[in-house]
Amino acid sequence: MLPSSTVENYLKAIYKGASTLTPPHRLLPMGQLASALGVVPGTATTMVKALAESGLVEYEPYSGVALTAAGHKLAALVLRRHRLVELFLVRLMGYAWDEVHDEAEQLEHVVSDRLIDRMDEMLGRPEVDPHGDPIPNADGQVKPQESQTLMTCPIGAPVRVTRVVDQDSAFLRFVDRHYLKPGAAIQVEERDPSADSVRVRGEGGRLITIGTRAASKLLVQVARTALLLLLAVVPALAQDAATPAARGPRTSLSGYMDFHYNKPEFADGSLDFHRFVLLVTHSFSDRIRFVSEIEIEHALVEGGEEKGELELEQAYVDFLLSRRFNVRAGMMLMPVGIINERHEPPVYYGVERPFVDTVIVPTTWFETGAGIHGEVGRGWRYRAFVTAPLNAAEFSADEGIREGKQKGSQANAGRVGTTGRLEYVGLRGLTAGASWWAGRSGFEFRPRFDVPVKLAEADARYGRNRFEGRLQFAQVWIDNADLLNDALTRRVGVDPNIAHVLRGFYAESGYRFIEAARFGDVGAFVRYENFDTQYRMAGSGIRLPQFDRDAWVMGATYWPDPDIAIKTDYSVVRNRSGFIQVPNSFNLGLGWWF
Amino acid sequence: MRHLRTSLLGAATLAALAVVPGVASRARGAQPAESPRQVVEIAAERFSFTPSEIKTKAGTTLEIRLRSDDTAHGFHIIGTDVDLELPKRGKGVATVTFTPKAGRYTFECSRLCGAGHEFMRGVIVASE
Repeated sequence: MLPSSTVENYLKAIYKGASTLTPPHRLLPMGQLASALGVVPGTATTMVKALAESGLVEYEPYSGVALTAAGHKLAALVLRRHRLVELFLVRLMGYAWDEVHDEAEQLEHVVSDRLIDRMDEMLGRPEVDPHGDPIPNADGQVKPQESQTLMTCPIGAPVRVTRVVDQDSAFLRFVDRHYLKPGAAIQVEERDPSADSVRVRGEGGRLITIGTRAASKLLVQVARTALLLLLAVVPALAQDAATPAARGPRTSLSGYMDFHYNKPEFADGSLDFHRFVLLVTHSFSDRIRFVSEIEIEHALVEGGEEKGELELEQAYVDFLLSRRFNVRAGMMLMPVGIINERHEPPVYYGVERPFVDTVIVPTTWFETGAGIHGEVGRGWRYRAFVTAPLNAAEFSADEGIREGKQKGSQANAGRVGTTGRLEYVGLRGLTAGASWWAGRSGFEFRPRFDVPVKLAEADARYGRNRFEGRLQFAQVWIDNADLLNDALTRRVGVDPNIAHVLRGFYAESGYRFIEAARFGDVGAFVRYENFDTQYRMAGSGIRLPQFDRDAWVMGATYWPDPDIAIKTDYSVVRNRSGFIQVPNSFNLGLGWWF
Repeated sequence: MRHLRTSLLGAATLAALAVVPGVASRARGAQPAESPRQVVEIAAERFSFTPSEIKTKAGTTLEIRLRSDDTAHGFHIIGTDVDLELPKRGKGVATVTFTPKAGRYTFECSRLCGAGHEFMRGVIVASE
């Protein structure tokens, strides 16, 4: 007859308890067994007597219990099933190592020997489970392990973590967080009995201080092979470390994407792979870097038909001369606004970027040029660039200067633009800055006349703990807008009604009301925007009320990982026109960064 | 015999640590208990370290604890072998010790973290 799960649990508890006994003791006290099983001693005694009658244990009243050879084998096979199931769940089914114990507690009593043997084979006949516990073979035998705890291993010697003897989920997460999982190469630097603490140096030079209780639950082996290797390469290491030379060339690849579903009221929804961006960087040395960002917008680029865009948003070389003074040249992001330089999808709320960062500040705003940047101390830093100017011939009434970007494509450089930003990052969580752009933009017209454009912007972003707040104000002045309208009317036959002043601002507040949960973080936000691309008209221009807009955008973001954002929001846009209305829209988005 | 082998390995370890400065610096915590220590907590987020300016005395062992408020960042002190990765928000703290000589040491994010990654820099100023 097959043993019941209760019998198996008793045998397993006696097996584990016996491993903590030190010779000459060989009987596990009944009190200790009852406590391990969470039952009263009387219950444990009744069960142990029954097990003794079955020949699985030896029981000595008032002394304790020990497994017979038959009981020992049965217990070892229960552990074999438990540990193979745990490893199977982690390796092949994607479970985390801190969530397999409970599953294995159930399955260890029901999986057949045949299934267990197939799992063992699939896993390559492993010797240890995810926690480093030895897996008995099919005969119930265990390969002896030689190990010490972090409380007993030599101080200063390289050791490798081999086993975590406490399977409590919270403790396993603690071990994971501190990079102390089996396989980690570490060394004990100091034991401080007065503080019950052990200081450990982990991989990558991390220093970790843990309590003595935790230290006693981590088993390690002295890394003798590592030591021998170290001795063999001493001359080479000595040379490298004595002169820590600048690092050699390195190339990195990163990227992000934005995938949206937009559903305006009274219209069909659309699925838009809005952005797919790859960043490639290369460090020629610690002081000379190349950075590039290539973006495919709206997924598809077709010749002769405007659909998507393939853009080179950044491609510059940075000459990092000192903390205060560095030189940059190439295709650069304009240092204007919150989103333009910090636009990875997981870092902002909302499926679409703010309206102000679209029609007032023409995000993503990039242009060819050169300039300087640096940090002057106490958290203040600056950037100042000279770039190709905007092309006023592409300005419009509803999107302002947005289409005037030359984007470094054989850009006219008969005039130049200047841009810059002064920024304060001296308090944790706070970034506050002010920026400008100025340039003469009427180069395309003959006879030539100037269209000086100025943009001033100020913003602040504060994020601490779960809260994040943002404020931004931006205003654009287009001088000679009346001359510009006249020239464009002559060219296209319609007055574009471009304004003299465009203005917008927004305030946003967000809060992560679930944080560090097992399934990730969840936050909600609300944003108010006010923007008008015809705030002041020039000369005889007529100010149209549909361009004076308000927007309320509210929604939520779920981060299964800090670099993945699943977003939803509802956007309500209103204008001052009695005839032309903007539909509300529901938006869903998926974005990531790697 | 076994005892002799262990002793030899131990002696060889000490010899190796003594002649390899890079390795010795990793084991530093074991020896100079009297060396002054200074704990520095740095928060990292796209695209700044706060604080970005650390002042200390030459010879002080800085215990630098780094926490990210968003993605994974790197922390590299230029010209040294200090280079580690900071776990993402909510995934823990990275700690490293560094004992500067007198001078200025620029540190930077060494893991590409976004469009403004190159702005993530700071300085450790160690005075005599």
